[in-house]
Amino acid sequence: MKRVRMPKVLRRSFRKVEARMSNAIGIIYANNAADSLQGLALERPIAAVPFGGRYRILDFALSSMVNSGMRTIGLVTPHHYRPLLDHLGAGKAWFLDRKDGGLFILPGVFHGLGGNNHTFCIKDLQNNIEYLEKDFAENVIISSGEQIFNINFKSALEFHNNKHADVTLIYKDMRESDDLTDEMFFEIDKDYKVSKVKVKVNDTQDLKKAKPLRSYFVNILIIRRELLLGIIEKYSSFGCIDLIDILTANLEVLKIYGNPTCSLIGKIRTLKDYFDRSMDLLNLEIRGKLWLGEDRIHTKLKDNPPTQYASKAKVSNSLIASGCTIAGEVVNSIIFRGVILEDGCQIRNSIILPKCHIHANAQTDYAILDKSVTVNGENVLKGSPNNPLVVLKKTVI
Amino acid sequence: MRKQECIAMLLAGGQGSRLGGLTRIRAKPAVSFCGKYRIIDFTLSNCLNSDINTVGVLIQYKPFLLNSYIGLGSAWDLDNPYGGVHILPPFLGEKEGSWYNGTANAVHQNHEFIDYYDPDYVIILSGDHVYKMDYTRMLKFHKEKNSDVTIATIQVPWEEASRFGILSVDDDKRITKFTEKPSQPDSNLASMGVYIFNWSILKQALIDDAKDSQSQNDFGKNIIPQQLKQGKRVYAYKFQGYWRDVGTIESYYQANMESLKAGHFLNIFDPRFRIFSNEDILPPHFVGSTAEIENSLVCNGCIIHGKVSNSILAFGAYVGKGVEIRDSILLPYAKVHTGSVIRKTIVGENSEIMRRCIVGAEGQSVPNQEGIAVIEDNHIISEGSIIEAGKNA
Repeated sequence: MKRVRMPKVLRRSFRKVEARMSNAIGIIYANNAADSLQGLALERPIAAVPFGGRYRILDFALSSMVNSGMRTIGLVTPHHYRPLLDHLGAGKAWFLDRKDGGLFILPGVFHGLGGNNHTFCIKDLQNNIEYLEKDFAENVIISSGEQIFNINFKSALEFHNNKHADVTLIYKDMRESDDLTDEMFFEIDKDYKVSKVKVKVNDTQDLKKAKPLRSYFVNILIIRRELLLGIIEKYSSFGCIDLIDILTANLEVLKIYGNPTCSLIGKIRTLKDYFDRSMDLLNLEIRGKLWLGEDRIHTKLKDNPPTQYASKAKVSNSLIASGCTIAGEVVNSIIFRGVILEDGCQIRNSIILPKCHIHANAQTDYAILDKSVTVNGENVLKGSPNNPLVVLKKTVI
Repeated sequence: MRKQECIAMLLAGGQGSRLGGLTRIRAKPAVSFCGKYRIIDFTLSNCLNSDINTVGVLIQYKPFLLNSYIGLGSAWDLDNPYGGVHILPPFLGEKEGSWYNGTANAVHQNHEFIDYYDPDYVIILSGDHVYKMDYTRMLKFHKEKNSDVTIATIQVPWEEASRFGILSVDDDKRITKFTEKPSQPDSNLASMGVYIFNWSILKQALIDDAKDSQSQNDFGKNIIPQQLKQGKRVYAYKFQGYWRDVGTIESYYQANMESLKAGHFLNIFDPRFRIFSNEDILPPHFVGSTAEIENSLVCNGCIIHGKVSNSILAFGAYVGKGVEIRDSILLPYAKVHTGSVIRKTIVGENSEIMRRCIVGAEGQSVPNQEGIAVIEDNHIISEGSIIEAGKNA
């Protein structure tokens, strides 16, 4: 039985070519440097924290935009931007090394003692106004770089254009299981116009009140470029103010619509978020939605060799990246690139970041090991499901 | 354009018919190797690691997949403003045109390409060998000996010597005798199919060769013997390291399997001499709770639920529940479904083995090709099939 089928490599490049998304440029906020990840984001913004075996959190926002056909993307960086630039280079891995458009680095504001608790700080854009001024695109898609998702923005942009909207907020419908503290809820009418906003639910009491609203904002919006330029000009004297606050304050004036998405969205704000969203990847259904579909997640290529399994290796229910050497036992864990696990070591419910070396008979359980950690023989590292143990970069234990 | 000291001509047009089902839809240099790589990766990475940034790739047989894989050469950092990778297919001239008729003829037809870069030296490479080699050392040797032609050589076991082009050298490493596949070898120094020529010498040799109607227009069979006959300075450069010709199913299988051995010569893990490839971007591989993997290489994008031992799983391979895979190579995107047993088999790219098949089963007769079964690319083996060891499907 023979089947005429085009080889996979070709099938991929045969994807239907659709209309260029040249009427939208992107902005990704990757400058939240608040270390709510207990050390993982100490020397890097949350967006640059490694995630899912071979990616960084930022890759999901970046790939979503690229897969949507966007060719111009600006990245708002924090002051400690070395890990971001190391990862991005000229943007080649995301096909953003372009003559026309491409990847733009937009240095963010220094927030000083107060820190940065804005989602989309206007001043960050004001400092990089040329990026918005010199483009001809009709719209700007703004996303947080601190969430895990894979969304194709084409339909949302089409919706935005059809409604002649000023702003389209991407939202999700609430489910009981979602952790919804700190979210912005809003109400939409039959025409999908946003009519009422309840900002930031802080405790369960608020959550009950918010429930009838049902829709919560996922830190992605589409805004007309001219309008955005206008807002920046009008609000420039305010200094640091959140674009979201400006929009909600002008609900009556602006045509703000909501567009639902059913993609998975995992915001990474706390260590528990990071740990739980990572462990979600062991679920086939979640992996299927996130990265096994047609829209791939792109990331910096390392050209590592395949992973080597020794004869004593015992691995179950785990994700393993390339370039590892595995001789120990791995259960319910995520192993990044270039990790060495020696004979008899036991890795359970753990996340091991790139280039860690676990020596013989060491054990980890509910632990997150940052890059290049060495755990010497016989050591036992143990955290708990609600409070996984974090070991800082380059630590030797 | 800028004058280059040395450019490479990479012979990648051969059919590789001895690899059977693996080259039915693609040229040999594009065949998967060691899970993550394709055979041509090694030669292209050698060029990068030897500061050769202009490479002409001579193609002819089923070139599409090979061409799309090479692209602009950017995966090997060979997209270079002063040179780069050039795909060179046969072409029409003003009056006539023809297919490449032999390796020497292929280079001869592209003499204008070489003249364009005006190199002092041309290195002739073959796209079907697996090895790590720094060509700069060989070029240095070539210059030191004031040589016209330098042939890279490697010592092979005596019993295998009759499979290769065998050289005899004097004390100064100058070649005194060259015999292609001798029945009674008087040396075990074999040609690796890597030659450095002074371009002026090569150009004349190719013109002479083209005039000779008896010639098979082959480097090993014609050009090198002709140079020796003319008394040119032909030297042997001794290469020490790992080199494998993967031209047959048996040698291809052996070379793959060798990479499972610890402390392997090829050492693909060595960060100082990296082998690059143009990989598909895939997520990390997933190992399910029923999986057992031992002494194997596994690439990105694999999903494994069964038992895998002494095997290589290339990127995107799938191993279902209750599957047993032993001493086998799954090429990219190969799928083996529930309950099948695979022994000593090369499963081609995108091919699928449905449920409860047995591949590599012991048969009545003595098996061919050392008992290695081969499933060709894009093939589907229907449920419950039994394929004997050494058979092709």
